[in-house]
Amino acid sequence: MANISELLNGWGFGKQTAIGTANLVATIWRHTNLNTKPWAKVPVNEDDRAEIGKGHEFPTQLFKSHYNMPAYELSKYASSEFLAWALSFSMGNVVVSGSGPYVYTIVPALGATNPTGLELPYFSFVQQIRPGGSAVLDEMLVGCAVKGWKLSIKNSPGRASAMCAVECVTTGQYTSPSGITLPAISTPHEFNAGMISALTFNGINYLTGGSAKQFVSMEASWENNFRPGFFPGSGAQDGYQIQGRFEWGDRAFAVQFVVRVQAGSTEYANLINLTTGTATFTMTRDANNSFTMLIQKMGFNVAELGNTDGIVTLQITGVQLYDPTNGMVTMTVTTPLQGICQ
Amino acid sequence: MADLVFMKSPQGDEIKEVEATAEALSPLMSTGWHQVPAPVAAQKPVVVAEEEK
Repeated sequence: MANISELLNGWGFGKQTAIGTANLVATIWRHTNLNTKPWAKVPVNEDDRAEIGKGHEFPTQLFKSHYNMPAYELSKYASSEFLAWALSFSMGNVVVSGSGPYVYTIVPALGATNPTGLELPYFSFVQQIRPGGSAVLDEMLVGCAVKGWKLSIKNSPGRASAMCAVECVTTGQYTSPSGITLPAISTPHEFNAGMISALTFNGINYLTGGSAKQFVSMEASWENNFRPGFFPGSGAQDGYQIQGRFEWGDRAFAVQFVVRVQAGSTEYANLINLTTGTATFTMTRDANNSFTMLIQKMGFNVAELGNTDGIVTLQITGVQLYDPTNGMVTMTVTTPLQGICQ
Repeated sequence: MADLVFMKSPQGDEIKEVEATAEALSPLMSTGWHQVPAPVAAQKPVVVAEEEK
């Protein structure tokens, strides 16, 4: 028996060289996780109940089918390291500059020009409980990819005001025991809503414009909508078929935010006039840790009047348009950690 | 001044050295340019720590 608090999580901050080639320990970090569940392995069996010719309708045999690995959430307070990792692995086109701190500039890769086609970088995920000779759990899942993420910012105190949840998928390939000695736990450089230093959506400055007291919350999310990765030759683990690739489908980038209504609010005008503009969201912890989400062309799709804790608010649903020159979105993260997604 | 990075065109026939800013990189990255290591000629000479006697 073991308490779930003993669960250790580590995963590749560097990318695997191929989907079936695990990260080396030097490119694996160890972090805490607010998701209190381990990543379950789900082998699926099938039987012969549908086959006639047995003389009855009941199943007589079991067959190994495939590993149906559920998606797994890494839920953390938003930090420069974790955002750089999540955005790089979910979007794919990454430029790194600097010599410490390092600046990661990240945009969604294009299928036509991405060196790996519709596939994003892969990483390995290690989960252990009492690793060693009598481990309760010690395995490394190989060929994991970031399916999507959600960044949540809200008016509240502390680290919970800036959260990032990342949904991951994996092929079904694993090694147990992992053979990995996880490093010491990382100390991330976390953000909170008090560190927001730029907050302008579609020409409206919610940080210093108007009363400067309008902003309530924001949620931004990315979804890769991976296609199933079973195909001839996709591979096997323990006699069960595994997935051999994760190709993105129709990707979706969503942004919603809630602001207080005040005299002269221009959100409705922007909506009905089809006004578009850039959106800039920045959190700055210090010179070595910052994050900027620059949406190149945002319009408003919905502006719904409501109330939040008794204050009259508007919930705005943005439409992120693809700008022919600058693309859809550019993420810039400054962090002390080298080698993320490299 | 921002650091400089080397970017390769999606066709692979051109390498540019550009400032590593969102403004400079966005138009390139959104059309498929990706980062490459500095060409050999642009790298700083290696300093030999200890010469053989």
